[in-house]
Amino acid sequence: MSEDLKTRVQELIDSMINPAVAGHGGFVELVDVQDNRVYLQMGGGCQGCGAADVTLKQGIERLIKEEIPEVAEVLDATDHSAGTNPYYTAGKA
Amino acid sequence: MPSSAGRLLLLLPTTTYRTEAFVEAATRLGVELVCASERPSTFEALAPDSLLTLDFADPGASAETIAQFAARRSIDAVVPVDDLTTVVAAAISQRLGLKANSLPAVATARDKHAMRRCLAEAGVRVPRFGLLRLADDPAVLARQIDYPCVLKPLALSASRGVIRASDAQEFVAAFHRIAAILESVEARLPDEARRALLVEEFIPGGEVALEGLLIGGTLHVLAIFDKPDPLDGPFFEETIYVTPSRLPQAVQARIAAVSRDACAALGLTEGPIHAELRLNERGPFVLEVAARSIGGLCSRTLTFGTGLTLEELILSHALGRPLESLERERRAAGVMMIPIPRAGRLVSVRGADDAAAVDGVDDVAITMHPGQEVVPLPEGWQYLGFIFARAETPAAVEHALRQAHARLHFAIE
Repeated sequence: MSEDLKTRVQELIDSMINPAVAGHGGFVELVDVQDNRVYLQMGGGCQGCGAADVTLKQGIERLIKEEIPEVAEVLDATDHSAGTNPYYTAGKA
Repeated sequence: MPSSAGRLLLLLPTTTYRTEAFVEAATRLGVELVCASERPSTFEALAPDSLLTLDFADPGASAETIAQFAARRSIDAVVPVDDLTTVVAAAISQRLGLKANSLPAVATARDKHAMRRCLAEAGVRVPRFGLLRLADDPAVLARQIDYPCVLKPLALSASRGVIRASDAQEFVAAFHRIAAILESVEARLPDEARRALLVEEFIPGGEVALEGLLIGGTLHVLAIFDKPDPLDGPFFEETIYVTPSRLPQAVQARIAAVSRDACAALGLTEGPIHAELRLNERGPFVLEVAARSIGGLCSRTLTFGTGLTLEELILSHALGRPLESLERERRAAGVMMIPIPRAGRLVSVRGADDAAAVDGVDDVAITMHPGQEVVPLPEGWQYLGFIFARAETPAAVEHALRQAHARLHFAIE
């Protein structure tokens, strides 16, 4: 079951998710699927980006759950503090 | 289509530090979010019902856009994050008929000169102030000012562009420096905010911050933060915030009372407020009341009841949900906004693990990355990072923060 989920999530990453985040120089890698929880790592412009959490929760997780309803949750395994080229950097208003 | 759990529009500037805190809070509360930013998300086309782009500088147009959206997907509450979104949030709330701060109240709070005028007229103690036009000759203006004074932009935050001047020469230099800062600001500011600046008397003494939540016009004080490092200028880089305050209870009560008077004078009635006050023997002076919650990552110092975050309180209040508790945790807590030692390019940060190992330190968050340009105040617009601590006493928190900071080494070239 886990392997099947992994395959389907990977297909979604390849066909829809990465083409979307590529617009901001980002990419997403599947780390693992355990207990119907998907673990992703964000890289490029997504790593350390101020909007990463919104992209993940409002974009990536919604899409994955819509397309693959068995997925319970999508979790971020990224070390955002190691990002060197985030697309949006935080600052004082 | 209505949402039974509550659908909340969250206004998130792409430059905010608060995205993770608010989004995680919504997840924990089971709140359905619609997120709007001023620049498009990469997923907007794939998730048009949850990711929107709005022109935060055009409240009218944004309100219309959301009204059309809400006609097919209802919005139950609007929460602004950071100063850039307070006015547009009020405009949207007004358009949708939602319970929120009025647009005039928020617009007044957003403009430091308008806020000063309003508070002064209501008898709330503020520094003596005046409005200066950037088109005027600063050398002439300098002869009309009492010193020391503080010059500041009308609509920036976190001490960006705030400069103390002790004489006419310093005044002229500060005037030109702030004019240059306003030219460089990327965010779309109101026209007046780019054409004028505020001058006010320098108030000697200490400074505090008050975090509060307005519920039906009543201000609930969530925390008073002491700022133990002196803020005497010429620049006003905030470093340490510690709560609970170590000021005498009578002084804290006075701070709370003045803050309540300020909110009432401005007409603010709902949602979070962050107030800054100067203190001396003449009493508290209100510097600012912002119709939004504390900035940066500083809200991590605050937990309530059984462990609710400030963001969970704000979202719950906005949706009209019962609030479990407004009581801050028993322990003292604090944050250091890591001071920027000098300008340059950040090469590396060493000692973060050692700093995090200091007794009482919860976390060290470095928010700039290697290769990034580091710019100190008054021009600087980004935090180098934050240190968070919790301990039994405010003194222990302050000690932990300073010890941790001493273990950090920033290579800036």
